[in-house]
Parts: sequence; structure tokens; C-alpha cells
Amino acid sequence: MAAEGLPPAVAAEQLAKSEPAGGTGSTGIPGRERAERINTAIAYTVMFLVAALFAIPFLWSVSTSFRTLADTVSGFSLLPRHWTTSGYHEALHTFNFGRYTLNSAIIAGAITLSNLVLASLGGYAFARLKFPGREVLFMLVLGTLMIPDQLRLVPIYLMLVNWIPAWVGHLGWHNASFVNRNGVILIQLVSATSLFLMRQYFLTIPRDLEEAAKLDAAGYFKTYRKVMLPLAGPALAAVGILTFQGTWNALFWPAVLLQDKTQYTIPIGIANFVGAYQTQWPPLMAASVLAIVPILLIFVLFQRYFVAGVAAAGVKG
Amino acid sequence: MGSERTREGLVGYGFVAVPMAFFLLFFIFPIGYAFYISRYNWQIFKGPFVGWGNYRTLYHDSVFWTHAVRNTLVYTAFVVPLQMALGLTLAVVVNQSIRFRTFFRAAFYFPSLAASAAIAAIATYILASDGLFNTILHHLGYHHSNAWFAQQSTALPSIIGLNAWTTSGTMMLFYLAALQAIPVDVYEAAAIDGAGAWRTFRKITFPLLKPGHFFVAVVSVIGAVQMFDQSFLIGGASGGPNYSTLTTVLYLYNQAIGNIKFGYAAAVGVVLFAFIFTVTLIQRLLFGKAEVA
Repeated sequence: MAAEGLPPAVAAEQLAKSEPAGGTGSTGIPGRERAERINTAIAYTVMFLVAALFAIPFLWSVSTSFRTLADTVSGFSLLPRHWTTSGYHEALHTFNFGRYTLNSAIIAGAITLSNLVLASLGGYAFARLKFPGREVLFMLVLGTLMIPDQLRLVPIYLMLVNWIPAWVGHLGWHNASFVNRNGVILIQLVSATSLFLMRQYFLTIPRDLEEAAKLDAAGYFKTYRKVMLPLAGPALAAVGILTFQGTWNALFWPAVLLQDKTQYTIPIGIANFVGAYQTQWPPLMAASVLAIVPILLIFVLFQRYFVAGVAAAGVKG
Repeated sequence: MGSERTREGLVGYGFVAVPMAFFLLFFIFPIGYAFYISRYNWQIFKGPFVGWGNYRTLYHDSVFWTHAVRNTLVYTAFVVPLQMALGLTLAVVVNQSIRFRTFFRAAFYFPSLAASAAIAAIATYILASDGLFNTILHHLGYHHSNAWFAQQSTALPSIIGLNAWTTSGTMMLFYLAALQAIPVDVYEAAAIDGAGAWRTFRKITFPLLKPGHFFVAVVSVIGAVQMFDQSFLIGGASGGPNYSTLTTVLYLYNQAIGNIKFGYAAAVGVVLFAFIFTVTLIQRLLFGKAEVA
């Protein structure tokens, strides 16, 4: 790891592509084969058991989401006795999770988009353009990872109540409120993690390509747009996926800023539901499935990009 | 040439202007502003200057110390070793060269990625009085008829178990990276000496993972002392039942959003920040290279 000269970021990147390095490769030593086989058998058994254990809560929630309420209180059965989608229907319509899903998508979508734009543009500048104070500014960006949300709660809340509406009022947007969805989006327009990932990626792109663009007398923005951005696909994917996953799941800032029920996200809707109608299990499990499935799909399709998130978490510490 | 460099510099500033303004406004500035607010009796509106008054009140706040801090420390003391042990076990297991390795790694990692709200809801259901967990216990001959999250004595331990499970996947990936940094020839030497799997692990792998242990421990501690989601979801904003799941961050949230005591909540935030900053700084000093990788 880092202390051995291999920072977590690099280690995690290797993790994405490499096959196991250490462990028990075949050595051709007598007596080793049998021990290895037993080893492997134990490993398989443990893995299947643990994987099953990890999957049971999710499968059980899916099973319950297709039950009737009566079915959930009439003793144990692995599968629903009467399959029904009424849990989903109730969740979406009676308990407004249709609205909450849309709200989650709007918030996560807006924040993801702005992270992609701001982090790629800023990451390009930090990686390639020379300007005085660049390293200091970049350290400042990384330093923000050490500032916990709880310290920022009160100041940001008061800023969103008092200052920001006054400022945008001067710009002509009168009576704007930010103790709502606007605020949740505004305070997450870009993250240090996104900027860090983009910069690191741009640093790995060979300079020759930009030199060619320079010969064509292309400006910096054009170089960014036409040369760098098309090459940054994997980094953009990682930033987009990680930002979307984080904001889709997020609880803290929505819990602070969303007070109007019509703007609730799925996690806030679930928090509210757990407090109010706890034993309505089928719609609650349906809402949980709604919260999980988009992330599961993204994870299945783009698994390797999540490793970049671990690298970033290593930076975040 | 000189003007070209100037132009490059100006464009550079232009490209980072929005992110930098954003970080200054919403990250750097709030540090000072939080401290400023904490020196006032600030409720809905800014009240009189009280100096260290809020900090003195916090020092004598028994709910903060006997519930919020105590629960947070108990939670951290139990969840960190559990996360590390589970993470290491999973990492060692999926580091074997066997089939479906990628699948298993993904399966173990997924709970870390799913929404905490959804997982908490599922846990509430499974740990309900007539839930799956009690049903299984019943078949094993152990009769437990209470909801695990609703009882004062079992609520926090249940959250500890829940979070040890959900975050073990992340710890697994950190440990995997650490495991793969161990040179292969060390294992070859052990094999020549005829060391068995357990002995190899205990005598070689575990000690060589020391930097990994430290890194995972710090990450885990920083996460644990900031626990909010599960208490908020399961114990409600008050951290019930009877404060048994109240954490320091949830307490701060309540003082600010529930009681509109902004000055006091800001003081809580500053104290927590000072603590976390110290832990993070220790980590930075030891793992400082990570950020300029």
C-alpha cells in the first residue's frame, strides 16, 4: 500500500485488471497439491455460503415486494403465496414513490452532469495548463476531502437560507429558495473526487496528441473538446457512475434540505415510511427494490469503474 | 512566447474558476463561518455574542456525552474490528486463484453500493418481531419475540452488525490491494519451508499486511465516528429507542434542523471536526503520498 510506495489509487487500478499476484500459485512442490486442493475446496464452500448470506436479505425483500400484506403475517414461506404487484402499485401511487423516484433521478442526474462538465474542464486545466499557484490550488481541492459534512451543515444551511437567495436576487432570480432541491444540487455541483479522477486520467494521456492540435492552431478549449475529452471516456464513465451512485443513495443533505414532501428522494421517502407505516412491508420492500435496482444494473454493467471509486476513497480516507 | 504563456495561464484560471469558487464557498469558507456561528446564541436569527458559551454548554450537556458520544464510541469500538476482520477474511478468500472470483468479489462488494435507506428498511423488516431473523432463531430453538431495532438493549448492536456487513465489501477491496502488494516470492519461500495455509497466513500474510491494517483501520474509524444514516433511518431523528442509537452527528443534525439551535449545533460541528481532523491528519502524515499519486 501507500507506505510501500504503492498508493491505494495505483493499487486499486491494478486490482481492476490484474489477476491475483500473491496467494497460492502452483509451485510443483510435493505434498503441496493436496493441501492446495483442500484449500480451494474450503475457499469455495466459504465463498458460496457467504455469497448466499449476502444475497438473502436482497432476495427476501424482492420476495416480499411481490406479496400481499396478509401473506407477510401468515408464517414463513420462501416465495409469495399469491404473487401480486400491488406492493409496487401502492409504493408508486399511494406512498408517492413514483414522485420520489423522479426526484432522485432529477437530483442525481443534474449533479452527475455538472460534475462531468466541471471536473473534466478543471481536471484538464490541472493536468495540462500551466498557471501560477496550480499545485497549491489542487492541494486545496484535495484538502476539501478532509472537511466533514457535519461541520458544513450549519454554515451551508444558513448560507442557503440567507445569502444565496439574496445573491441570485441581484442577478434577477427573485424569491428563489435553496432549502430544497436547488440547494441539494447547488452544494454538490462538483466534488474533489471527480476532479481528482479526471486530472489523474488526463495526466496519463500522451502529450503528442495535443502537440498535433497545437500545430493546427486549435485553442485550449478546442483541444479539450476535440482531443482530450474523446480520449477520456473511461474517466468520464467512472466519474459519472460514482457521482450518480453516491447522489442517488445520499441521505444526509437531502435530510437537511428537503422539507417539502413533493421534493423527497427515495431514501428520504423510505426514512419517512419506516417511521410512519412500518409494518406495510410489501410497499416498503418495493420502494427498497426501486432504490437498489438502478444501482445494481449500473454495477453489473460497469463493474470495473467502481474500482476507481475505491481508489478515490483511499484518497479521501 | 511570453504572451502565449500568459494566455495559457488565463485560460487555466478560467477553466478552474467555477470549481475553485465552489470549493471556496461551500468547503473552505464554512470552516471559519461555522466557528463564527458557534460563538453566538444563534437560533432562527443571529443572537448575542456568547464567546465560548456554546462550548461550555456542550461540555456540560449530559445527553451529548452519555448518549451521543458514548454510543458513537461503542459503535466505533465494535464496528471497526468487525469490519476489518470481515474485510480481511473476504479479501483472503477472493484472492485465491479460483473460478467465479470476479463474481464473488462483486457479490461481496455490492452491499457497500446499495442505498443505506433501502438496506436499513430491509434490515428493519428482517429484524422485526415476526421477521425472518426471529423465525430462523425460532427454528434453531431460540425464542426471541422482540423487534431488534425497537429494544434499547439490542438496537445499537444490531446496527453494528448491519454496518459491519454492508461495509465489509469496501474493506475487502482495500485489503485485496494490500494483499496483492505482497511479493509472490515470499509465499514461495514459505512453500519450500513446507508451511501450511494457516501458518503461512498467520506468520507471513498477516504481519506483512501491517500498512494495510493501519490504512483500513483509519478509513473505518473515520467512517464510524461520522455514522448518521442508519441511526436516522432506524432510530428516527431522536435516535431512539430512548437515545440508544443517538450518534454525535445525529445529535448535531437534531440541534440544527430539529431545535433550530444553529449556534450550539455549529459548536458541536467544530468539536467533531477537530477530532476527525486529528485522526485524518495522522493518516495523511503516514499515507501522504496517496493524494499526489
